[in-house]
Amino acid sequence: MAMRQTPLTCSGHTRPVVDLAFSGITPYGYFLISACKDGKPMLRQGDTGDWIGTFLGHKGAVWGATLNKDATKAATAAADFTAKVWDAVSGDELMSLAHKHIVKTVDFTQDSNYLLTGGQDKLLRIYDLNKPEAEPEEVSGHTSGIKKALWCGGDRHILSADEKTVRLWDHATMTEVKSLNFSMSVSSVEYVPEGEILVITYGRSIAFHSAASLDPIKSFEAPATINSASLHREKEFLVAGGEDFKLYKYDYSSGEELESYKGHFGPIHCVRFSPDGELYASGSEDGTLRLWQTVVGKTYGLWKCVLPEEDSGELTKPKMSFPETAEEELEIASENSDSIYSSTPEVKA
Amino acid sequence: MRWLHAFGSSICRAQAMHTTPAIPVPVPVLRLPRGPDGFSRGFAPDGRRARLRPEAPDIQGRPSVQESQDSREQQARAALRERYLRSLLAMVGRPVGFTLHEGVHVTAHFGATDLDVANFYVSQLQTPIGVQAEALLRCSDIISYTFKL
Repeated sequence: MAMRQTPLTCSGHTRPVVDLAFSGITPYGYFLISACKDGKPMLRQGDTGDWIGTFLGHKGAVWGATLNKDATKAATAAADFTAKVWDAVSGDELMSLAHKHIVKTVDFTQDSNYLLTGGQDKLLRIYDLNKPEAEPEEVSGHTSGIKKALWCGGDRHILSADEKTVRLWDHATMTEVKSLNFSMSVSSVEYVPEGEILVITYGRSIAFHSAASLDPIKSFEAPATINSASLHREKEFLVAGGEDFKLYKYDYSSGEELESYKGHFGPIHCVRFSPDGELYASGSEDGTLRLWQTVVGKTYGLWKCVLPEEDSGELTKPKMSFPETAEEELEIASENSDSIYSSTPEVKA
Repeated sequence: MRWLHAFGSSICRAQAMHTTPAIPVPVPVLRLPRGPDGFSRGFAPDGRRARLRPEAPDIQGRPSVQESQDSREQQARAALRERYLRSLLAMVGRPVGFTLHEGVHVTAHFGATDLDVANFYVSQLQTPIGVQAEALLRCSDIISYTFKL
């Protein structure tokens, strides 16, 4: 029986979603943070998309957001010239790091001790989160605004992208090791630690480079301008989305287009695989995030595989109902409540 | 027959099949992801990750000087907040001059603000391109505003 992909739409943002990031896998599952031009980044349960909380405090569009590995801290980069560090369990703001221009990108080291930031002031900054009052280390060299900055190579290297270049820096010496020039604007960079691969998108191209040397591995062309791409950690597939509102899934070895999905009502700005590779999330100009199954039809999260044989004996099982009718909804344990979901929300003080 | 419900408007390119192609059936879902509750910022205190929260602030040996400093600051914040809210009340119905970005100045009669002070509802908004009977001004666009008491 052929199955059709059912994307799960996460609503809540009121403006375009421009960045998203997953945490690692924690004892409580994994989590997802979304950056939005409405200035209110949100934390969600990664496998269901359920909203957990909204980080309130930024006074401008949030351009970048990230979680640390165990999802205890979040960091955001915003147009209000600050990067903020948050407690991702309580939602409280822990630190506000002042910059001299719009901040676009933030990344934690694996041990959560350092935060890397980059933005329109063309400087990379490294903050020691154990000494928030100390001045950050600054790395200059970019000649246009920094769009993305990442730790890679076990946090020994920094990878940064501006309009047309991607640069690799050695953290210990703070010097540039290698750089790449692109003919078109670089739209996204993803670092895949398993295999030390960088996924770089520019124009309609999705390119793969070694994270250690920046040497090119391969590249594919998509039918439309691509804004973001993500490689599955087992390196079988990659997904990409961009200006034609569609999501594309490719075979990594052959570059063959496997699937494509419509669903978003605006350009896709960011797409990432979950840490377990079972789903991927996309964020769009239309203000929504959507979750997509990697293997369509598999039982996972909120998706429930139904086989024809289950029909006969399962009449008493809870029906899969429209969300508007609140009867008999199955509860998946989520951050906000352990009890069975009730249709009348409690008023919180 | 079990009902299967389609969500959204996704269209999947049909996979090549060796048998006669069947109409693709949308993958059923248990429910949609829950969205924000609309009245709080979330992060439920009794959520599953509650044990990761920092300890409550009645740790032994905390100096009392620190505590009274905190409560003084809290009182000062409360007083300033109350003054600001009263200033908004005082503005209702009066003409207010707004300085916006790019050196733009407009005047209008102030009506109300929303809960987060994100938008001002105004009437008789005098703009460089005419008078708007009623309008919403985004507070993030306002640099400053003045009015006479």
